[in-house]
Amino acid sequence: MTFDVTDARGAAAAMLGGAALLPLLPGHAGLPCPLRTLTGVPCPLCGMTTSIEHMVHGHPLAALGANPTGPLAVLAAILLLLRPPARPFAVPVAGVVAVLALLWAFELHRFSFI
Amino acid sequence: MATYPPPPQTQPGATPGGASGPRAGFWARFAALLIDAIIVAIVPAVVIIIGAVANSGAIMAIGYIVGVAFFLFYEIYFIGKAPGQTYGKKALGIRVIDFATGGEIGYGRSFLRLIGRYISGLVCYLGYFWMLWDKEKQCWHDKMANDVVVPVSAYPTE
Repeated sequence: MTFDVTDARGAAAAMLGGAALLPLLPGHAGLPCPLRTLTGVPCPLCGMTTSIEHMVHGHPLAALGANPTGPLAVLAAILLLLRPPARPFAVPVAGVVAVLALLWAFELHRFSFI
Repeated sequence: MATYPPPPQTQPGATPGGASGPRAGFWARFAALLIDAIIVAIVPAVVIIIGAVANSGAIMAIGYIVGVAFFLFYEIYFIGKAPGQTYGKKALGIRVIDFATGGEIGYGRSFLRLIGRYISGLVCYLGYFWMLWDKEKQCWHDKMANDVVVPVSAYPTE
């Protein structure tokens, strides 16, 4: 998976900005998980919005509890914004799949499926 | 039906090993989506608030129906016809074109694209993020409708 630097930085800024602004919105809006809403089964990224929001507001432990990769995503986003790579960068697909599989196991356990 | 020249396959915006021409970036597409979400929410929100103030379930129900109808019209009509721009996309200077011909995608494929947006969101919104690493910067719904989202600066409207 090769990422365009500008797009990745745009996504990083949107993620951090969204996390900063969400608590200020009426009703504290969030991003509901469509999979969990429709089937009751959590997806690997369930809790990510909450986790990133906690992390951006300086609550790393709460962030880890909601989704362990939230703090990593915030740190990666900050790094992308402050020290952008000079050219498109690649992320190994196998690594992404492995992380998602571990996350899904975590979420299924968190919601008492396993 | 307005026609446009096909997307240039090798033009200055093309990147080696990347997209075949200039493509709209994540930030522009995201901002356009936010603007469109606000626009389509205003009309039903006003009706629903009026219903709530009047304590009328019927008016509130009408608000929801109007909201769904307006959303369907807004997305299908403005994306389907040339130049493939909702007001959000217009504000951000981007538009949706047929990947093969560079023309409009038509209402049928625009509807298919709208269905595709729900599929894009179904698994952790993965279909939306797909554009971050896709060669042609297509989300799943772009692939379903065989369209690309491009900057107007590179693909001007008539």
